[in-house]
Amino acid sequence: MANKILVVDDEPSVREMFSDLLKKEDCAVTVLSNAEEALQLLEKECFDAVLMDIKLPGMSGMEALKKIKDNNPSLPVIMITGFGYDEGLIAKCKEYSCNGYIGKNMPISQIISSFKMFLKTAKEKR
Amino acid sequence: METSRKLSESFLNKVVNAAGALIIYLDPDGRIIYCNKKAASLASRDEADLAGEHWTKILFSHKNTQMKQQMFKAVLDDAVSYGRTNAFEGLISGPENKEHLISWCLTPISAKEGGLDGVLLVGNDITELKEKETSLKNIDTTLKNIMSSIREYALFAINLEGKITYFGMGSEYLFGWSKNEIIFKDILLLFPEGDPGLAQMLDEVRGKGKYEIETELRKKDGSLFPVDLTVNQLKDTAGRLIGYILIAKDITEIKKMEYHVFQTEKMAAIGQLAAGMAHEINNPLFVISGKIELLKDEKSFGEDIRRDLNVMGAQTDRIRNLVDRLLKFARKSIPRLETVGINEIIESVLPLVLYHKLPDSNVIMDKHLSQNLPPVKGDLNQLQEVFVNLFINAYQAMPQGGRLFVSTSATEGKFVQVVISDTGRGIPAESLKNIFMPFYSTKKDGTGLGLSICYNIIKNHGGIIDIESQPDKGTTFIVKLPFA
Repeated sequence: MANKILVVDDEPSVREMFSDLLKKEDCAVTVLSNAEEALQLLEKECFDAVLMDIKLPGMSGMEALKKIKDNNPSLPVIMITGFGYDEGLIAKCKEYSCNGYIGKNMPISQIISSFKMFLKTAKEKR
Repeated sequence: METSRKLSESFLNKVVNAAGALIIYLDPDGRIIYCNKKAASLASRDEADLAGEHWTKILFSHKNTQMKQQMFKAVLDDAVSYGRTNAFEGLISGPENKEHLISWCLTPISAKEGGLDGVLLVGNDITELKEKETSLKNIDTTLKNIMSSIREYALFAINLEGKITYFGMGSEYLFGWSKNEIIFKDILLLFPEGDPGLAQMLDEVRGKGKYEIETELRKKDGSLFPVDLTVNQLKDTAGRLIGYILIAKDITEIKKMEYHVFQTEKMAAIGQLAAGMAHEINNPLFVISGKIELLKDEKSFGEDIRRDLNVMGAQTDRIRNLVDRLLKFARKSIPRLETVGINEIIESVLPLVLYHKLPDSNVIMDKHLSQNLPPVKGDLNQLQEVFVNLFINAYQAMPQGGRLFVSTSATEGKFVQVVISDTGRGIPAESLKNIFMPFYSTKKDGTGLGLSICYNIIKNHGGIIDIESQPDKGTTFIVKLPFA
């Protein structure tokens, strides 16, 4: 069964790219441009995982992560960022119990493999 | 006739006694014929008593009497025998045993009938004059001592021809020239070669009386150092310009500190810019790389297109690498501090470094690691990165081979100091200023980020990294890290 993934990023081309890449991995992808809409949708719909950009206009991805985990601790959330491998950011995401961290500067193959690994680990935990 | 002679005698008596001078008249045998009051009082005698006495009774004071008397006798004999006027200085014991220094003039007086009548001694009490002279000399010596003790300032003077006429000890210390070597040499020796600034400076001083400038001066070994230079007019007592006084304060340390502050601020600004840029580049980079990957799956593409896609992929990888390094530079990654030994870190990175060195390079390693070196608080990985960078730089600077020197030591102020130097091609002075700047590289294929990352890491450890280099002689890096 295809994984249902919610991608949240304020940049349309980045959203589309994630969507294209994940569809190729047999995922059903929904894309949104901000955290507020994402929280609203998560109340109504079930997803297998959320891919959330850290830097978002309005509510930040970090804040959204905290809220999602407060409401639904078992929903895997993987954070994405343009800031690369930043120890400070990673530590913060871990503090809010994120399930993974992907830098947009990583090679595509690595992004996909990391995503799959995080998802697998999260599901096993569940 | 008799009256007029008496009158004139009493008149003369008045005159000679009123005069401030000591007056004694001796016969050719040295006996006192006449002595005025002043001379008698200084000898603590009555002038009348002294008549007929030999001069040795009153001249000179007890100290070295015999020697002085012998010397005076020689002078007196000379006056008597050859009729020459002579001068002599000597002490006589005055009232209360106070010694007076008298400057005597001995004038032989001829007798009417020919031959010598006697010798006139006229003495001036120069005790106070001598005292003043001595105290002036003392002041002069003190001043000279003060001037020559000042080391922070180089004080030197030139005449109107630009020749050095004074060179204080501070100048010797700062310039490395000794007074004897440089005195009367041209002042241009102390200025950078071909520097036209001096003539203009002296013009200004002539007009305004004083000129201050921050500039560079030249040491004996040719190296330049920054100074605050003040030039003043030098005038003689008549107020005529006879030269210039120059005072130079060495501001090398101040400049270094200013440079560090400036560097830190600049680095912080560049760091922010780099982080912002890297973030903005990463989004389109992700999209382009993603599209390339997806296009590679397109079955209908021929070999040509596939090759192009691979080229595009490789080029995006290059951008990715660059952005990674940018972010690494920009990131204020807080060092994970633990107690580490610098010697151990150096030993651990050397094998890595040797792996990087050119296979046919002929570099001799000269290692002086201090035993019992106190540990430092540091992030092991970050410090390893710093030393790998510095060692690789040193190797790369010596493609023809050379000597790589590394030493560790504990310095004042509780710092562990690491010195890494090579005997390579060196770095020109104008490049040194920018050497820790990101994207600044003297190497053909350098990204210009290595040293800027080292700089940030050492800075974040509360340490200092410095560089010294001379073209064709080599480069030295000095890293200082605080004790744990």
